[in-house]
Amino acid sequence: MSTIRPRSAAAFWLAVPAGLWMLLAVVLPVLLIIWVSLWGGTSVSPNNPITVENYRRFLSNENYLWLIGDTLVQTAMIMAITGVMGYCIAYFLTVKVTSPAWRLALFMAFVIPFWTSTLIRAIAFVPFLGTNGLLNQALMTLGIIETPIQAFLYSRLGISMAQVSLYTLLASGPVVYMLNSIPPALREAAMTLKAPPIIVFWRVILPLTLPGIIIGQVLVFLNVLADFITVTTVGGNKLAFLGNLVLLFYEGSQIRMTAVVSVLLMILMLAGVATALRIVDIRKVGS
Amino acid sequence: MPEGPGIAQLDLELRHIRKRYGDFVAVNDVSLQVGKGQFVCLLGPSGCGKTTTLRCVAGLEDPDDGDILIGGRQVTNDPPWKRDIAMMFQDFALFPHMTVAKQVGFGLEMLKKPKAQITARVAEVLKAFEIAHLAERRPSQLSGGQKQRVALARAMITEPRILLLDEPIGALDYSLRETVMLELKALQKRSGISFIWVTHDQNEAFSLGDHVVVMNHAKIEQQGAPDEVLARPRTAFVAGFIQGNNVFAGKAGMVRDGLLDVATAVGNFRVPLLDLAAPTPGSALTFSVRAERLIENPDEAVPNRVALHCLTVEYFGAFRRHVLEGPGGMVVKYDQFGALPPTIREGDAVTLGWMPENGVLHRAPPA
Repeated sequence: MSTIRPRSAAAFWLAVPAGLWMLLAVVLPVLLIIWVSLWGGTSVSPNNPITVENYRRFLSNENYLWLIGDTLVQTAMIMAITGVMGYCIAYFLTVKVTSPAWRLALFMAFVIPFWTSTLIRAIAFVPFLGTNGLLNQALMTLGIIETPIQAFLYSRLGISMAQVSLYTLLASGPVVYMLNSIPPALREAAMTLKAPPIIVFWRVILPLTLPGIIIGQVLVFLNVLADFITVTTVGGNKLAFLGNLVLLFYEGSQIRMTAVVSVLLMILMLAGVATALRIVDIRKVGS
Repeated sequence: MPEGPGIAQLDLELRHIRKRYGDFVAVNDVSLQVGKGQFVCLLGPSGCGKTTTLRCVAGLEDPDDGDILIGGRQVTNDPPWKRDIAMMFQDFALFPHMTVAKQVGFGLEMLKKPKAQITARVAEVLKAFEIAHLAERRPSQLSGGQKQRVALARAMITEPRILLLDEPIGALDYSLRETVMLELKALQKRSGISFIWVTHDQNEAFSLGDHVVVMNHAKIEQQGAPDEVLARPRTAFVAGFIQGNNVFAGKAGMVRDGLLDVATAVGNFRVPLLDLAAPTPGSALTFSVRAERLIENPDEAVPNRVALHCLTVEYFGAFRRHVLEGPGGMVVKYDQFGALPPTIREGDAVTLGWMPENGVLHRAPPA
C-alpha cells in the first residue's frame, strides 16, 4: 500500500511533473486559442484589440448555426445507436456468456481492433463501404441487391456506419464494468421477491448500470464531436461537421474563425460533460 | 417416481433431489418433508450441499432429478417468481439504489397491490421490525444489524408459505447473534411461516430448529428432532461434527445380553445395539459416547473403562472440559459440570468409564 498521504509535501512534488506538462500542453494552448478568438484587426499580432465581433459574425450566419445543429443531431444519433448496441453487447458478454474462455475470446475480438489508430480504422472503412467494397460484394453475392449501393461511401450513411462501429466499444466498456460489479444475489433476491426477468432488468439492473451508460455516452459524445477524420475519409468532402469546420478555416488561413469554432466546440463539450455529471456522480463509480 | 399432488399438509416436500455440476455432485438423493409452520435447520460443513438444496427450493438452481412440492403443488419446473417462497441471503442482497421503504415494498409492488395499500402495509411492517426511522435511508447508510432487519422485513412482507434463510446471521457481529436468533424464533412461531435455515453452526441449528437435517458430502446423514440427533448421532460423521462426542473405532465381537462387544485400540467396550442388526463379528464399526456421560474413577459396576492422562483443562463456566490422552494417542474429551470443584489437573493420570446404555452404535455412512 501507498504510504504517501494526500496533501503532504511528497504528494505535491509527485504531482508537479504531470501538472507542469498539463499546463504547457493543455492550459496554455487553450488560453492562447481563446485569446486569438477575441482578436480584432486583420494582422497576426499580440497588439490586436480584444473584441467579440468574431463570435457575433459566426453566430449570425445561418449556415453555421445550421451546421452546429446538424453536428448535434449526428452526435445524438450516434450516441443513441452506440448506447443501445453497446449495452446489448455488454449484457451479452457479462450475463449470457457464462464460459470464462468464451467471454475472454469475445472480449478480445471487440478490443483488438482498438489497438490500431483511429485514423487507420477510419480509412479502413473506405475499401469496406466502397462501390466495389466488401459490403456491396457480400450483399450481391447473397443476392440481396443486384447493383452496388453507391450511398455507403462518401455519404452520411457511410459516416454513421463507420462511427457506430468505431465508438460502440466506448459505450460498452463502462457498462461491462458496472454489470460486473452487480452481485448475482441482487438479481436472485429480486426474483424471489416475485419479479420476472424483464422487471428485474428494469428495476434493478438498469438503474445500477446507469452510471456506466452515462460515462459511455460522455465518451461517445466527446469522440463524435471531435471526429473529423471519419467525416473526411468516409464522407469525402461532401459533408462537414464542427470539427471539419475548424480544419477548413485553418486551411483557409482564417486564424480568428478557427479559434472561434474551436472555442465553441470546447463549450459544447464542457456543457455535455456538465449535464452528465448532473445525472450521475462519476466520482462515486467504483466505490 | 410418484407424480401429481403431494401431501397438502406439508409446506415443502423434496423427493430424491439430485444436482451435479460437471463431475461434482452437490446434492445427492435428498428427501425431506417440512410440515406446516415448521422450523427446519440444514446443518453441515461448507460444501456439503445445504445451500444448493436451499437454492433448489427457491428455484435458483434446477435439480437434475427429483421433485419439489410446495404446499402439495409440483413446482419443480417453476421459476423463482412463481413459487410461494421468500429468501434471505447471506449478505442480505439489499438493492443499493432503493430506500428502505421502497425496498421493503418491492415484493408487494411485484404482486401488483394498490399503491395506498402498499404504503400502509410498508409503514406497518417497518414499525413491527423497529426500522420505521430508517425508511428513507439507503443500504450503504445502515449497520449490519439494521440491514438484517430490512432484509427480513423485505422477505416477510409478502407472507410467503416458506422463508428460506441462507446463513442469515453469519454476517452479524457475534454479540448480536443470540438476540437476533431469539427474535427470529419468536417471529417464526408468531407468523406460522415455515423457516428453512441453512447454517454450519450447530448451536444455531440445535437451539432454533424443530427439525435438524445434518448433511455431509451432498447427502443427508441424519435428520430428526434436535434432542434426538444430539442424544443419538446415527453416523460417525454426525457424532464427530456435533461437539462433545467421543468417537471410538473398533471391531465387532459377540452379542451378550443385548450388548455388543467392541474391541478397540484402547480396550474392550460393551455397546447397546439399539435398533441395528448384530454386525458380523470382526467387521469394522464406530460408536460414540458424549463427554458429559463419562464417570471419574468408575467402580466395578461400570463395565466400560479406559486409563488416560490429562492434557488440558478448559473452563467454560457452565462446564469444564478435559482433553485426555489414552494408550496409542487416542484423545478423549470429558466434560464436568462447571459448578463442581475441579478434580483433575493437567498431567494427572485418571481412569474414566461409562455405563453401556450411554454408548451409541453408528450405522455405516449413507452409500
